[in-house]
Amino acid sequence: MGQQSLAQMPHDGIYMSKKIACGALIYGNSSWTEYWENQLFRENENIGRLTTESVNAMMAYGITKKLNVIAVVPYVRTNASKGNLLGQKGFQDASIWIKAKGYSSHGLTLHGVVGASMPMSNYVPDFMPMAIGLGSKALVARGILTYDLPKNFYLNSSIAYQMRSRVEADRDAYLSGDKLLYTREVAVPDAFDAAIRFGYLKKDNQLEVFAEHFSCVGGDHIRRNDMPFMTNDMTMTSVGVYGKYQPKLLGINGRVSYVVDGQNVGQSLSVSVGLLYIIKL
Amino acid sequence: MFEAYAPSKIDVNGGSWKTFILTSPTDVSVSIPYLTTDAKYLKEIDSLKSVVIPKLTTAQKEAVKFWGAGSVLRWNEIGRELAARYNLAPASNAAGVYPVPDPANPLADPKYPFANPLYTARALAYLSIAQYDALVSAWKYKYQYNRKAPYEVDASIKPLLPVSSVPSYPSEDALVAQASYVILLAMFPGEGPFLREKLTEAKNACIWSAINVGSDVDAGAALGAGVAAKVMARAKTDGMSAANNQVLVPGMIERSKALGFVNPWMSQESPARPPMLPNYGSVSTLNFDRKTLESIRPAIPFLEISAEFKKELAELQEIQKNQTREQAAIANFWADGPGSYTPPGHWHRYACEAGAAAKYSELRMARLLAYVGSALMDAGIACWETKYYYYSPRPQQFGLKTSVGLPNFPSYTSGHSTFSYAAATVLSSFFPEKSASFYDKAQEASDSRVYGLIHFRIDCLMGGKHGRVIGDFAVKRANADGAD
Repeated sequence: MGQQSLAQMPHDGIYMSKKIACGALIYGNSSWTEYWENQLFRENENIGRLTTESVNAMMAYGITKKLNVIAVVPYVRTNASKGNLLGQKGFQDASIWIKAKGYSSHGLTLHGVVGASMPMSNYVPDFMPMAIGLGSKALVARGILTYDLPKNFYLNSSIAYQMRSRVEADRDAYLSGDKLLYTREVAVPDAFDAAIRFGYLKKDNQLEVFAEHFSCVGGDHIRRNDMPFMTNDMTMTSVGVYGKYQPKLLGINGRVSYVVDGQNVGQSLSVSVGLLYIIKL
Repeated sequence: MFEAYAPSKIDVNGGSWKTFILTSPTDVSVSIPYLTTDAKYLKEIDSLKSVVIPKLTTAQKEAVKFWGAGSVLRWNEIGRELAARYNLAPASNAAGVYPVPDPANPLADPKYPFANPLYTARALAYLSIAQYDALVSAWKYKYQYNRKAPYEVDASIKPLLPVSSVPSYPSEDALVAQASYVILLAMFPGEGPFLREKLTEAKNACIWSAINVGSDVDAGAALGAGVAAKVMARAKTDGMSAANNQVLVPGMIERSKALGFVNPWMSQESPARPPMLPNYGSVSTLNFDRKTLESIRPAIPFLEISAEFKKELAELQEIQKNQTREQAAIANFWADGPGSYTPPGHWHRYACEAGAAAKYSELRMARLLAYVGSALMDAGIACWETKYYYYSPRPQQFGLKTSVGLPNFPSYTSGHSTFSYAAATVLSSFFPEKSASFYDKAQEASDSRVYGLIHFRIDCLMGGKHGRVIGDFAVKRANADGAD
């Protein structure tokens, strides 16, 4: 339920230098026992704890020191601790991003990011919350504003809009709100997210706290005691901590985030750890 | 997707076809219409010409187009949509109890009804039967009174829809609207405002299209209401009110054990949910009697200790390990689970599509749906009688998961298989040229429950065979109703 991990989104103000690449292998574990069925906060004894594990292979490369390209390939696996629902697994949505540094003045820097993602495998999208993804292709445009504070501290705010394609579901009719639609084409609502981060960055070492908000543009709500569906208007606000330690070529990163409020999503606690490696090309 | 058409057959003798509930097509009387030369009629024509037609809005024209695709078809769609909206099992409350939906308080939590496959099969069956019986009656009066349509009386009136030579009084579209409204409101009592809005629009569309004048519409609506009331009288006494009699359950479990089931069915939900409508098998069938129902009950399935059972369990274990994407897709396509129009709704949809493709008249469409619908309702009853006779365990009681969600009632036989083969059998008799496609779909629906890991192979195989027999009773009845 809205477990796409924003951690993998290229949203920082950091760039690889020209002809330098950074490869990363990140393990993520996101889970919830309670969720918002529309606005009703509840648990479900027939799901127990819903866990989504992921392994992300990631590569960031400096075309120039102001223009980076980032690619991510995730493998995802779900499991419910109780009940009868069969866990799902597979390659989820691969994404590619281009990030560019723009106007800069008095410590303020504007960055622009465009990205695209699409499913890498023919996974089942309409079996939520067990599905590994929503199945839609997405185009994302993001603006980032960073502000350098004294003593290596920084502020980062970003806002993004995600256009999402219709998805061909396995079923040939579905309810959208109160309307029964006779089609396999499921309209997944577009979404936006916004975030604010405050951190410390020295060389390649970083520590940051953040708050993020994700919300769909339109969509319907989970009906009483129903399962979630791709048309749902998912909303969540999360807070978290991110850190990176990279003394030399080899480094590690870690991220923890927690959903503090939401609608049509699980109250996830997400943890990820990654191994980073710098390569000169 | 659906568009208006002129029907391929008029069926002048439709008023003599055998009905389901009415004992005679004139059980409900329709008064003699005034002549088309009468001042009152001419006033209606004048209102049509000088008030209605010149002032038609785009929205009204859209409504004409919508309802013009077929009144029976549109009301069937409305029934399916309501089924989907109400197809959610109650949530357990803080005390771990599942409250029973209350018809006196339909919009409370849990909403009434829980439109599961059985409830939906029954609601759509009575909807179709009311439409059919009312239309047979209408045909009787139409050709008795032979009132012309407004555009025949006054050639300057141009109808907005393709027309037929069927007499205009009473209006078949208003009749279908009113009959459908009565049935659907009884089945979905919380939907009064929604249904009234549809009813008003459907009746107005008869006049906006210049197919009818007001007195055609009023007579149609009155006849539709009268016939639907008779159908609801049958529905109210068909045993549905005792379908959830949970007191019978301990006795069912005892019988299951006596038959040799070591592990009778048990709810796999937490907290354990009482089985769905354990006494639905006692509801009155439409196309055969109780003795027949018991005589066609499928034989006992493989018991846990048998080699056959172990083989079927192994088949499921193998699918769980290596389910192909195609198997998952078939399981999902036919799942028709919570929030859907259920398998009976799925087959009503196919029936509507086939009837529209064949340019069926309202009368022929209602007839088709009445036989498909009655077969589906009978399939539900007979399948439920079988399920609770054996009370056999689900694969999940032997460690399997599911990729579609687990129904909360005994395993043998498969409802999907029974419903699908019953419907395919009736549809094949109406459309022999499409028979292979209907049976392929039925087999796929049947297989889907194995691929989704919630039924043993024998549940589906025997359910399918049972469904064919049940469908044949509807076919036999259709063949004797005088239509062909």
